[in-house]
Amino acid sequence: MLTGWNDIYRMFEAMDVLRNRMNHLLAGLGPDWEEAGSWSGLDGWPRVNIYDTGDAIEILAELPGLSKDDINVRIQGNYLEINGNRKPETPEGYSAHRVERGSASFSRSFTLPVEVDADRAEATLKDGLLTLTLPKSEAAKPKQIAIQ
Amino acid sequence: MSASKEVVKKMEDRPEKTRQIPTLIPRVDIYENDDEILLFADMPGVSRNDITVHLDNGKLALSGVRRLEQSGVAHLEEFGTVEYRRVFAVPQGIDMDKVNAELKDGVLRLHLPKSEAVRPKQIEIKAA
Repeated sequence: MLTGWNDIYRMFEAMDVLRNRMNHLLAGLGPDWEEAGSWSGLDGWPRVNIYDTGDAIEILAELPGLSKDDINVRIQGNYLEINGNRKPETPEGYSAHRVERGSASFSRSFTLPVEVDADRAEATLKDGLLTLTLPKSEAAKPKQIAIQ
Repeated sequence: MSASKEVVKKMEDRPEKTRQIPTLIPRVDIYENDDEILLFADMPGVSRNDITVHLDNGKLALSGVRRLEQSGVAHLEEFGTVEYRRVFAVPQGIDMDKVNAELKDGVLRLHLPKSEAVRPKQIEIKAA
């Protein structure tokens, strides 16, 4: 019999182990569409992370296979838009066996939590990962308040 | 309850694991022409040193680890540290020694050249 919460937790842990194993078995069967983010339904693509580092807002976006000329970033006040176009990469003279990556134009926009200084914004693209560093405008920066 | 006890016991036998990196299946395009099979795989954020391509016994295993260092407070987090992993069966007649891979803009490009024996050949018809 089960006695106490400890045993019940253990039971659930055991179930997690089983579930992980099942996931592992199934992982080889086909692409994990939901996880990988869908190109066909362009909602939510590219996937984006937004961090607040205190002095700046940092944005990361997954954009594999895009060069910097394919990406547009626009900032207006606290509104940010990332859009672009992924060109098809089909090589000349090849026949296709499997095409999952697709190509399409995309657009995502965000309302940032604070106003940013668009003039000092920086953007880098490395290994298919776009990093935007948007310094907060003076008014939005955190200030230390001395206690009297 | 004997079955459940066994499961619980198994858990105890096992050493505690550190946090596992979730795995993701990368999206791929596969093309073929007379000379080679060409494979593209999306692996955004994976650097060259974190990719392994393993060819063994007719199986091609791709693995790329992306480590994200989080800075600051997350407002929105749609992706993170992940291992991209996928295994393919490679048809016979691939010249394993000449396989080469390149990584550009988060896309892995893998050339699998066909060995001479399986390349299509044009047969000339001689006049009798």
